[in-house]
Amino acid sequence: MTATLSPASRAAPPPPRTKKIAGVGERLSAYAYIAPFFVIFGVFGLFPFAFTFYVALFDWNPIGDQVFIGFDNFTRMFGDPRFWNAAGNTVSIWALSTVPQLLLALVLAHVLNHARLRFALFFRMSVLVPYVTSVAATAIVFVQLFDRDYGLLNWLLGLVGVEPVDFVQSTWGSHLLIATMVTWRWFGYTTLLYLASLQSVPRSVFEAAAIDGAGPWQRFRHISVPSLRPVIIFTVVTSTIGGLQIFTEPLLIATGAPLTCGAVRQCQTLTLFLYEQGFGQFEFGYGSAVGVALFVMVVAIAALNYLLSTRIKAD
Amino acid sequence: MKLRSPLLRAVAVLALLTACAPGTGGGGGGDGKSFEFWSFSAINQKLTVDAYKAKRPDIQIKLTEVGTSTETAQSLTTALAGGKVPDLVLIQGDNLPQFVEQPQNFVDLRTLGADDVKDDYLDWVWRQSVAKDGEVLGVPTDVGGMAVAYRTDLFAAAGLPTDRAAVSALWPTWDAFIETGKRYKQATGKAFTDNAGTSVFYQAVNQVSEKYHSADRKLVHNTNPQVKAAFDLGIKAATAGITSGQSSFESAWSAGMAQGQYAAVAAPSWMLNTIRSTAPDTKGKWDIATIPGGSGNWGGSYLAIPKRAKNPQAAWEYIKEMQSPQGQLEHFVRVGALPSTPSVYRDGKLADAKDPFFSDAPIGKIYTDSLLGLKPFYIGPDSAVIGQEFLNAITNVEQSGGNPATAWDDALRNIKTAIAE
Repeated sequence: MTATLSPASRAAPPPPRTKKIAGVGERLSAYAYIAPFFVIFGVFGLFPFAFTFYVALFDWNPIGDQVFIGFDNFTRMFGDPRFWNAAGNTVSIWALSTVPQLLLALVLAHVLNHARLRFALFFRMSVLVPYVTSVAATAIVFVQLFDRDYGLLNWLLGLVGVEPVDFVQSTWGSHLLIATMVTWRWFGYTTLLYLASLQSVPRSVFEAAAIDGAGPWQRFRHISVPSLRPVIIFTVVTSTIGGLQIFTEPLLIATGAPLTCGAVRQCQTLTLFLYEQGFGQFEFGYGSAVGVALFVMVVAIAALNYLLSTRIKAD
Repeated sequence: MKLRSPLLRAVAVLALLTACAPGTGGGGGGDGKSFEFWSFSAINQKLTVDAYKAKRPDIQIKLTEVGTSTETAQSLTTALAGGKVPDLVLIQGDNLPQFVEQPQNFVDLRTLGADDVKDDYLDWVWRQSVAKDGEVLGVPTDVGGMAVAYRTDLFAAAGLPTDRAAVSALWPTWDAFIETGKRYKQATGKAFTDNAGTSVFYQAVNQVSEKYHSADRKLVHNTNPQVKAAFDLGIKAATAGITSGQSSFESAWSAGMAQGQYAAVAAPSWMLNTIRSTAPDTKGKWDIATIPGGSGNWGGSYLAIPKRAKNPQAAWEYIKEMQSPQGQLEHFVRVGALPSTPSVYRDGKLADAKDPFFSDAPIGKIYTDSLLGLKPFYIGPDSAVIGQEFLNAITNVEQSGGNPATAWDDALRNIKTAIAE
C-alpha cells in the first residue's frame, strides 16, 4: 500500500486522541476474537507437531528413561524392513484405491452432468451416502462380505467353482479389500467435486459440440476432461495425502492382529506402523521418527501440487 | 478413515502424551474411603467388587472395565506417563514385565505388608512381579493352568473316544496330538483344532524349563532347543492340514467355534469363560482333557497400585481381603478363575468343582493338576514381542502360504528388528 500513498496523505493530521484509543481497542479486539483458534491450534497443533521432531531424537520410554540418541531412530528406520513394508503397502493400497476412484468419479460426474438426466438431484445426493457412513460400520460390513468362510463374495465365487479366497490373510487380497473400502467411501465426494467444476462449463459448449456431431465419448474426452484438469490435479494430490494416512480400515480388518494388520504385516500402512510403535510397543521416539518421515512425504507431495498447479495456471 | 487434515492429528496425540514426564510425585491424599479400580472387560470383575462392597459397606469402589488386557495395559502406560492414575489396576501376566522394568511407577507393596502374605501364593507366580531390587509390584490374582477343551459330539462322529480319560490318553505328547488331528481330519474331512500358533506353539513353549531367557536373564530365544522344538511342533501342526486357520479371538474364530468348525482348542482356565460366551449353544457338548505334556501355565493376572494413587491404603485392603486364599477360592466359585494360592487347591469347593457346560468335567482338579510339576522360567520385557513374532511366523505358514522351511529364520530376523538388538 505504501507505493500508492502520496506524500500529501502521509502528512495528514493525526485523528483526535479519543478516537485513536478506540481504534487501538478495536484493532486489539480483533486479535482477541481470533485468539481462541490460535491458542488451541498452538496447544494441540503446533506444539505437539514441533515436539514430535524433538521426541524423534530420543529413545523415549513414556514410563521410564528418555535417552538422547541423535538420529539413531532414523538410521534404524531406514534399515527396518517393517518400515519399507509399510511404505510399500501404503503405495500399493493408494494406487489400488485412487486410480479406480478417480476414474469412476470422472465418468459419474460426466453422467450426472447430463442435461437430460431425470431426478438429477437425487442421484447427485445419493453418491454422498457412503461418505457420511461411519468408517467402522463400512469396515464391519466389508469384512463380512469378504470373509473366507461365510462371505458373500466367496459364496458367489464358489458358485462358479473358485476355491474360497482368504482376503484378509493374503497380501493382494487385503490390499484389494482396503482399496475397495476407500474407493467406496470417497468416490462420491470426488464425483461432487468434478460435478461442481463441470457445471461451470457453459452448457452451450456441450450443445455446440453435439450439433457439430460429437458423440458422448468425444464430448467426455474433449470437453469434460480438459475443463476438469485443475480439479483433477487437486483430487490426485488430496487423495494421495489421504492415501498416505489410511489408518482405520487396516486397523479394523484383521481382528486377530489389528496393530500389524495380520500376521506378516501384509496390510500394515505407515500410519498403522506409527501407531503400533508408539502405542503398541510404546517406543515413542521411534514412532515419532516415523511421523517425521510421513511429514516429509506429505510436504513433498504438497510441493509437487504447488508446482503442477502453478504450471497449469501459467498455461 | 483417511485423516485429511494430516499427521497433525496423530502427532498431536502422540506428543501430548509424551509432553508430560512420568509421574514422580508421591501418592496419597485421598479420603481413604474410596478407590478407583481398572480391570479388563468380560471377566466379571463386578461380581467380586460387589462381594467386597457387601463386606465393607463403608468403602466406595469405582470400577472401570477398560477393555482387553492389552488395552488396559496401554491405558495404564498412558496414565502413568502423565494422566490420572487409578488406585488399583489389573495387569495381565504377559504385560507385567514392561512394568516390572520400571518399578518407580508403582507402590512397593512391601511397604504395605506384602511380605506377610507372600507365602500364601505360588512362589514362581509371585516372583514374576518382583523387580530387580526386590520391590514387590503386584499380587497374583489367578493363574491359567492348561488343558484341552474338545467337542464330544464331533469326536464321536469321527470315531474317536469321548471319555476324558481316554481322550487324554490319545495325546501324551504334542506329536500324538497332531497324529490324533490327522485321524480326525481323515475321518471327517474337517479341521481338528483352531490354529497352530495358539493351540500348539503357545502351549508347548510355555511347558519349558527355560523360555526366551536363561536363568540369568540373558536372551536365548534363538539358541534354546526347547523353543525351537515348540516352534517346530507349531510348524508341523500348521502344515499337517489339521487346523481351520482361524486366529484366536478374531471373529471367524468365534464363528468357527459356534459352528463346530474345529473340535479341540487349547483352554487355560480363563478360556472356559470365552467358550461359554462365544458358543452358548454348544453347552454340554464339550469336555476337558489334559494338555499334551501334562502340565503348564498360560496367563494369570496381577493387581498393582500406581505410585501416584490417591488411596493406596484402601486399595491394599481390597487386595488383602479379596486375594487371600479364601477370597480367591470364592472368586473361583463365582467366575471360575483358578486361584494362585495353592493352600485352597485341596478345598472341596475347588477340588470337587464340576462344570455342566463341559459335561461336568472336574475343572478344579484338571487345572490344579496341570500346575503341579511346573518348571518356572523368567519372563522378560521382550518376551511378549518375541512370542508374537514366533506366532506370526507360524500363522504365516498356516494361513498365508509362507514357506515352512524358512519360517524359523524369518521369525528370528523379525525378532531382531522388533527388539532392536
